[in-house]
Amino acid sequence: MNEPLITLDQLVIGYNNQPLMAGISLSIPRGSFTAILGANGSGKSTLLKTLLGLQPPIAGRIQISSPTGNPVVFGYVPQTMQLDPLYLLSGFDVARMGVYRRIGPGRLVPPGENAFVREYLQACGADGFAHQRFAELSGGQKQRVLIARALATRPDVLVLDEPTAGVDTAATQSLLEFISQLHADRNLTVLLVTHDLPLVRKHAEQVIWLHQGLIRIGTVAELLAPERMAQILEMEIG
Amino acid sequence: METLRQMLSPDFLLGNSLYTSVLIGLACPLVGVFLVLRRLVFMGVALPQISSTGVAVALFIPFWLGVVPGSHTAHTEHLLAFAGSTVFSLAAVLALAFLERRGRGQPEGRLGAVYVVAAAWSILLLSKNQYGEIGWLDLLKGEIITIDKADLVLTAATLVVVLAVLGLFYKELLLVSFDRTMAATLGKNVAFWDVLLYLLIGMTVSMSVLSVGPLISFGFLLIPALTAHLFAQSMRQLTILASLLGGVVAFIGFGLAYQWDWPIGPTDVALLGLVYAVAWVAQWLIRLFAVARRAPPRVAVTQRRKA
Repeated sequence: MNEPLITLDQLVIGYNNQPLMAGISLSIPRGSFTAILGANGSGKSTLLKTLLGLQPPIAGRIQISSPTGNPVVFGYVPQTMQLDPLYLLSGFDVARMGVYRRIGPGRLVPPGENAFVREYLQACGADGFAHQRFAELSGGQKQRVLIARALATRPDVLVLDEPTAGVDTAATQSLLEFISQLHADRNLTVLLVTHDLPLVRKHAEQVIWLHQGLIRIGTVAELLAPERMAQILEMEIG
Repeated sequence: METLRQMLSPDFLLGNSLYTSVLIGLACPLVGVFLVLRRLVFMGVALPQISSTGVAVALFIPFWLGVVPGSHTAHTEHLLAFAGSTVFSLAAVLALAFLERRGRGQPEGRLGAVYVVAAAWSILLLSKNQYGEIGWLDLLKGEIITIDKADLVLTAATLVVVLAVLGLFYKELLLVSFDRTMAATLGKNVAFWDVLLYLLIGMTVSMSVLSVGPLISFGFLLIPALTAHLFAQSMRQLTILASLLGGVVAFIGFGLAYQWDWPIGPTDVALLGLVYAVAWVAQWLIRLFAVARRAPPRVAVTQRRKA
């Protein structure tokens, strides 16, 4: 296993000083494919927001180590439903937002960065529909544009928040195959938030399972083995 | 034609009102687009009303202080109104933005309550104010015939500031409006850009209310943006089209009001409503036509079945 990129030490997460989950200690290795698994309301989104620095932890420490000394860049892929269809943006417009981190206020996006965005749209198989209105694309097409946007940030970690929500089965398979390929080709650290167990089993290496206010961490083989799962679920019934 | 000739004449008596009206028509939709896209239409209703309450409160201050009529000039009155409008608009826009960010309670209910209370206070205060009653009540009704050079210059300056801020920081304002989580992960200071946008909206509303009243301000904040949204294909088109539509309707509305001696504000807003209705029907027909063209011809289907 590679050296840890993100380390959580006795973290307590929640809102308005109301803890949702406490005592979270884990590490996410560089170049790993980690899935955060859990049912709706299990605290997946809160943990993700805390990791991304959008929600301060109530207690504990988050350590993010970058080998270059530069801040770690998160390429964030939100759920497509979170983005309002009122905005008259093309797929290209949306993907181009990925380069805004490098372009200061008051500056136009230079042609080189536009070419870079087109390159990533092509790599994600989204160049064919990038000129169309983003709101009118299918769920799978939107996800491809959003992955291109996340990659355009030149991320250290690709963070996908329920990427299969609102996407049909065929497109889900194709998307996850594509993400796995990216992970393998570029040694990209992937953090996938989902409640889809078969997808996790197929693609992830490490699993963070949030369940009934408790957190379990392990490899897919360890945590998602039938007997281990039965043990966890029995604990819930008991 | 005669009306148009008079309106375009440099000696036109109501030139300041006409130019101010057109400038407001151009400026308000530029920020109104963000209110529509952020689904803050109710804020567009409440803000102009709060701004006019600011005018009413400020004009009431000499009355509270017992200043003798005549001792304060029209200039002082105007300065008070400017201060009241600006302070109330900016304070309200920041408070509403803060509450929106917290995301608790019922934002629509809150804005509705603020709107109706602000409207009641404006009328109450002005009706009991012996100094400012007539002119300022006219302003609340959208009767904009007494606009001086200072108002015109301030309105033009507001338009320049709005254009400059949008021109320089459009990509940041668009990013935090469209996807604030992404903006935060990119290291953008979301709160700063939110505050900048809200201050821009507050400043435009305050200037607009001071010059033309809450009715026209609200109309120009929302209706041009909604109308342009029916046809625009990109954010750039939406912004430019909404602003131009606002400017053109303000000009035509002024002409109609001048020709038939109607109140300018209500004429402008009624015209905006008419344009919106016509645009909506036109867009519906265009879509219907497009769907009909895409559908396979009935004859072809019949022939295939026979074959």
